[in-house]
Amino acid sequence: MSARLNIPSLINPFAFARRRFRQWWQARLPQTDTLTLTQRNVYILPTGPGFMLAITLMALLVASINYQLNLGYLLTFLLAGSAVIGMHVCHGTLRGLSMRLIAPDPQFMGASATMDVNLVNDRRSTRYSIGLAVLDATHEDRWTWTDVPAQGAANVQVAFKPTHRGLQHVPPLTAETRFPLGTFRVWTVWRPAAQVLVYPMPEHMPPPLPPGEAIAGGAAALRSQNSGEFDGVRAYRRGDPLKLVVWKKAAKSLASGSDDLVSRDTQQAQRWELWLDFSHAGRHGNTSQVADMEHRLSRLCAWVLQADKLDLHYGLRLPGREISPASGEAHRRRCLEALALC
Amino acid sequence: MASWLQHLYALPRDGRDTIFLLVVIGWVLVPQTANLPLWCSALSAAILCWRGWLAWGSRPLPSRWWLFGLLGLTLAATLFTHRSVLGRDAGVTLIVVLLTLKTLELRARRDAFVVFFLGFFTMLTNFFFSQSLLTAAAMLVGLLGLLTALVNAHMPVGRPPLKVAAKTAASMALIGAPIMVVLFMLFPRLAPLWGIPSDALAGRSGLSSTMQIGNIATLALDESVAMRIKFEGPPPRANDLYFRGPVLSYFDGREWRHNSIRLGARLGTRLLQGQKTMAVQVDGPPVRYEATVEPSNRPWLMVLDMAATAPELPGHELRITNEMQWFSDRPLTDVTRYKAESYPNFRYGPTAQLVVPPEYRELPVGFDPRTQQLAQEMMRDPALRAGGSSAMVDSALRRLKTGGYRYTLEPGVYGEHTADEFWFDRKEGFCEHIASAFVILMRNLNIPARIVTGYQGGERNSVDGLWTVRQSDAHAWAEVWMVDAQGVAGWNRVDPTGAVAPGRTGAFERLRVAPGVVGTAMNAVNPELAASFRAAWEAVNNRWNQWVLNYTQSKQLDLLKNIGFDSPSWEDLAYVLLGILVGVSSVGALWTLWERQRQDPWLRLLHRTCDRLRKAGLDLPAHTPPRLVAEAAQRHFGATATALADWLLLLEAQRYARDPQASLATLQRQYRQLSWPQ
Repeated sequence: MSARLNIPSLINPFAFARRRFRQWWQARLPQTDTLTLTQRNVYILPTGPGFMLAITLMALLVASINYQLNLGYLLTFLLAGSAVIGMHVCHGTLRGLSMRLIAPDPQFMGASATMDVNLVNDRRSTRYSIGLAVLDATHEDRWTWTDVPAQGAANVQVAFKPTHRGLQHVPPLTAETRFPLGTFRVWTVWRPAAQVLVYPMPEHMPPPLPPGEAIAGGAAALRSQNSGEFDGVRAYRRGDPLKLVVWKKAAKSLASGSDDLVSRDTQQAQRWELWLDFSHAGRHGNTSQVADMEHRLSRLCAWVLQADKLDLHYGLRLPGREISPASGEAHRRRCLEALALC
Repeated sequence: MASWLQHLYALPRDGRDTIFLLVVIGWVLVPQTANLPLWCSALSAAILCWRGWLAWGSRPLPSRWWLFGLLGLTLAATLFTHRSVLGRDAGVTLIVVLLTLKTLELRARRDAFVVFFLGFFTMLTNFFFSQSLLTAAAMLVGLLGLLTALVNAHMPVGRPPLKVAAKTAASMALIGAPIMVVLFMLFPRLAPLWGIPSDALAGRSGLSSTMQIGNIATLALDESVAMRIKFEGPPPRANDLYFRGPVLSYFDGREWRHNSIRLGARLGTRLLQGQKTMAVQVDGPPVRYEATVEPSNRPWLMVLDMAATAPELPGHELRITNEMQWFSDRPLTDVTRYKAESYPNFRYGPTAQLVVPPEYRELPVGFDPRTQQLAQEMMRDPALRAGGSSAMVDSALRRLKTGGYRYTLEPGVYGEHTADEFWFDRKEGFCEHIASAFVILMRNLNIPARIVTGYQGGERNSVDGLWTVRQSDAHAWAEVWMVDAQGVAGWNRVDPTGAVAPGRTGAFERLRVAPGVVGTAMNAVNPELAASFRAAWEAVNNRWNQWVLNYTQSKQLDLLKNIGFDSPSWEDLAYVLLGILVGVSSVGALWTLWERQRQDPWLRLLHRTCDRLRKAGLDLPAHTPPRLVAEAAQRHFGATATALADWLLLLEAQRYARDPQASLATLQRQYRQLSWPQ
């Protein structure tokens, strides 16, 4: 539905002015990770049903006047009084609420990122039906509804889809309520200060990992057939995959009081190194077609994940940056960050 | 029993909410059933039950074609019943069916809103028919129910208990009640904005322009004041105290109606006016009086028989019909005072040449065959035939006196042939039964006759000497066209009720309402308690009538006078209302300002401490608890911060320890005396 609406709204001058006003307005809002809602940042406007109620009240009043029904006046005014109180209750549902954003974890492009928002209610009464959503989202089920208990807190998860790679601010959020009568919409706009790191989208069905590169000066070609065979043991080095640790020896050495570990020493680990290279990531199979930068990054990202899954020792070469081969969670993160910020 | 209760509790939220809404709608509609056509009540009940069954079993809603079909059927039936889809009664019928039909279409949020707002309007239509205290109480419950459903519809999380929504709705209504009171007291009461349909005012307290058998009997229970009369000089004889109201001459077998409704000849009556008033010949000294009429919302003026000249009522254009009823150009919606002059001795219709319109002899075909037979027997009696119309009237009155007829408020429900039942079967009735049966007999005798409704009697208030006429004094009598011995014809008043119960008209004896089952039981147990209960109920009802139903513009202006306005007008009302609005809004604004500055004193103390530390060079994140502030201060400032740290720990204990050593006031004092680290 939104897609259908967007095209005319690009042409519509009113929609254009409205969009510009919104941008200007949002730019004025301070960026903060905790927001306490006050009279100043809570807005209120009647909704469609609110206007319907107003028309109903007018009809009731006219009927009471024309038929001279004093009881009709009473009904009309009681309903009007309740609606006025309802307006205050509606505004009070958001006013005084504190919202805190819990910094989101890094995300991959293309996947939905979730933010945790903590809502705190100081008041002695429950705040009902508070909805949170990303401000610019337009799909139907974007709202996450929650009640915040009296003098308690509630956690809400809001999902959003990052639009580009890299370090970025989380999108502006909005909190809304129509409780209790639905005749007024009370909302606030919140620009959190938190930033989220978005990794490139891992390529779907990437080509296999590139072949390893021989370490310069080694007689690599001679022994390449023997890959996978162990030549002996050596002392444990940081970054060695766990499966290379010789656990039998480790048990012995631990028993004898020292905590030295030994790793298996293979020919391949000595001679070959897996380098994920930006300049090699552009080729498509046999053709020498060169893909654009995002495409390459997304392939590199997929390779990093693949190599990490296979527990390989890998390095990453990006234009202007090189990460020497290693493995493990910290290495993977370092590589992904480099890809995100490239 | 238990199993369906369990099912009710286990219903999915949708089903539960729908069933609650249906119950509320049913509650709002039940008081209407007496005033709706039978098919409408039955259809609405059937639809509500059907919808409830669908919700009970979580079954899918019917397709739109069902709705269109039912809607078309309803329109046709409304047209058939009311001969129109406009007007009040047809409108009420349509709204009721629309409301129930809409429940079959509860798909989107918008549909629910339509149901709510139609529901509010349906509530108002109840007041067309009754504005009693009971109706008000029932509709208050209905309003709370609808608000509860509305609040519940805006609680999307989980399956909140209805109690929560009900509590919110009730508190909103309670806090909104002062707004209602202020608006009710001060909102200027306007005259109807445009002409209202002729059926608009039917079914209200007071006399109406139609008489269905049973109407006046209900009025007899209403002790509220209809009007007060101040006579110049002594009041007329009791037998002359007939206040003339609507004259009903058209009968359809069930209901007596005003002639003009049938003829639609308002203009005609006005043209005839001059000529017809000449037809009244008055005699003797007039009775002068001033009448103060409570708002009747009717255009007619009650005057004593017979007011030949127009009452003095400035601002109204008065006219008289050819049935000698005085009308104003607009309904009396406020307390109205007018002066009038009536002649108890009068002759109405001096010349035999005056042609009696034939409709005064008309009767519906197929009703009251036995009364017809009685009339034929009477006409065959030579003595009666010789005596003419006056002999016939005397004979009928004699029959009423000696035939064992009884005057009662509870004659039971009359069937199709009302006159037959009165004359031959039940032999008891209220003034309306007696008058109706009498006029039907006269018309069967080919004597022109009609029914006059109005008030008869009243009582003198011993304090101020005013004559008080109450709704319970409502009465119906007959007028018969008689030719006297000199051959002079004219309309003569005949009160057949007087023949049955002479005390009614002579001594103003009134029938007391027989107590109901509960009343009888209470009387048996404790008559005093029953009496005091009845007295309390009557007092409450009286207040209700006085303060709510008869709260008019003049009462509003009296209120302003009490506040201190010299000569208040309705503009002043608007100013006072505006003033209150502005005052309340500014108080609200001040309160918001105050609320914004309000902070937990404990937190304020901590924040002030942190601010001071920041100025001293220690920047701590907001929301650092006191213990961490103390640790950080000691780390940053060293030993100079010991006193501060101790104080901070006391502050923490004040908030969190089970038995804190220092009160908040002590801590605040200590804060001022603290030695701050440098």
